[in-house]
Amino acid sequence: MSPARNDPKHVTGADRIPPAGETLPRLTIALQVADILRSLGYPREATPPARVVRSTEKILAEARPWLQPRGTYSLYAVTRQTAHSLEIGGATIAGNIGEFLHGADRIAVFMVTAGSEITRRAEACSRAGDAFAGLALDAIGSWAAEAAAEALMEQLNSQLRPGESFTMRYSPGYCGMNLRQQRTLFKLAPAKSVGISLLPSLLMQPLKSISGIVGLGPREIVGIHLSPCERCPQVGCHMRR
Amino acid sequence: MADFSQLREAVLTGNAPAAVAAARQALDAGVDPVELVNQAISPAMEEVGRLYEAGEYFVPELLLAARATKEVFQLIRPLLAQKDIPPAARVVLGTVQGDLHDIGKNLVGAMLEGGGFEVIDLGVNVPPEKFILAVEEKQAQIVGLSALLTTTMPAMKKTLDVFRTAGIRGRIKVMIGGAPITQSYADSIGADAYGENAAAAVAIARKLAGR
Ligand code: B1M
Repeated sequence: MSPARNDPKHVTGADRIPPAGETLPRLTIALQVADILRSLGYPREATPPARVVRSTEKILAEARPWLQPRGTYSLYAVTRQTAHSLEIGGATIAGNIGEFLHGADRIAVFMVTAGSEITRRAEACSRAGDAFAGLALDAIGSWAAEAAAEALMEQLNSQLRPGESFTMRYSPGYCGMNLRQQRTLFKLAPAKSVGISLLPSLLMQPLKSISGIVGLGPREIVGIHLSPCERCPQVGCHMRR
Repeated sequence: MADFSQLREAVLTGNAPAAVAAARQALDAGVDPVELVNQAISPAMEEVGRLYEAGEYFVPELLLAARATKEVFQLIRPLLAQKDIPPAARVVLGTVQGDLHDIGKNLVGAMLEGGGFEVIDLGVNVPPEKFILAVEEKQAQIVGLSALLTTTMPAMKKTLDVFRTAGIRGRIKVMIGGAPITQSYADSIGADAYGENAAAAVAIARKLAGR
């Protein structure tokens, strides 16, 4: 058994499924310059100025060692699910559950982070008057957090049984799930094991972190879904997929 | 009238060294610094803003252009002071208490500096009292508040309430912005303006400063 397996003390063991989850101290992520340019606001079809592309390439190469993508998840059996609430591990999560997690019989509660070094570097650049480098490093950190979530999903593949698939990922603060639900998620996954903490304002530290839940269940029920962006009211968002 | 085409081009392409060189050349040739601002820098930045609105420029181009004009302003500011021309409005900027997001505020700050404003950036997690101290000390006319989450934006209302209690609200204009902020939220807490993005923030700050 992996020594990195977590065992959060504050959750009753009854509904946890062995293996309860995993802490992944080093996730492998792939970052392309094209991704960062998108994060900087360039739509896919735009041709950014050569100067911007060159600077972004340089900044990305320099930034790679500053990224510390880590993640953790805990797996729970669903004890009760309605359109607007989900019961796992003795806790209740409220939100548009039916829309995002319909058909799931197990839920992985996850936390990922790109670490805090990238944000420190971005802030230092901005303070030194180089707003572009600050923005590029910030965008790299955002993209790395997203990539860490994708990498964690890859790891979660090992938990799928034959004929099963994932639901959409769903996070506090998005589409009808109040940010207050962060408190519940932090009870259900060992965020501390990857260095993530929750501030009283419900902001996570490091800033480049993502929390969420994702369902596992029979492919023919959970497998058909649109991009979560289809449901998001932020229509002008440059990250819209 | 002087030919400002090189300076204009340097600003539009975000080439700071070229912009400073062209500005220095014009000033050495006896061009009035006020004319340089009014005839070259301001129109060039307006064009940059227009290109951004039209979707031809993106945030990086805005920042590079702002950096070029900021450096030109650094050259001009002492000359304006010599002529007793008052400095551009001062803006105290910060992310409200409880929130640690830096980047949106930094972009706004960089664009304001590129627009000729003097920016006093207080950083993140700024308590209301720190804004008040900076307003008093720097005689700032505008306060800019930023927040990124719905759970941190209530600190904007609190900040404004403390400004009122401290008796400084009437002396300053307050602009707010950030991902969850809307015009109606700004109205509901009695802010003077809402800035949707960094480019808009400059135009709004100009209006607030009466320029
Ligand atoms: C003084 O006058 C002014 C005037 C204008 C002003 C101003 C002041 N201040 C700002 N402006 C304006 O001008 C600036 C420049 O144009 C702009 O500043 P911004 O700071 O908005 O813009 C930045 C320069 C670039 N923009 C950004 O960096 C934010 C972009 C979006 C897509 C976004 C990103 C990239 C990320 N996120 Co997330 N994220 C979203 C964002 C949706 C969106 N389109 O805004 C938002 C902010 N996130 C949200 C959420 C929910 C979350 N995110 C999270 C995580 C992340 C990533 C890590 C993936 C990444 C980076 C986050 C970071 N803060 O560094 C989580 C929180 C992280 C944490 N630390 O706690 C998490 C809570 C999700 C989760 N449970 O994990 C939403 C907040 C909703 C809410 N309820 O408050 C959100 C609006 C997305 C959405 N679709 O709903 C304007 O707002």
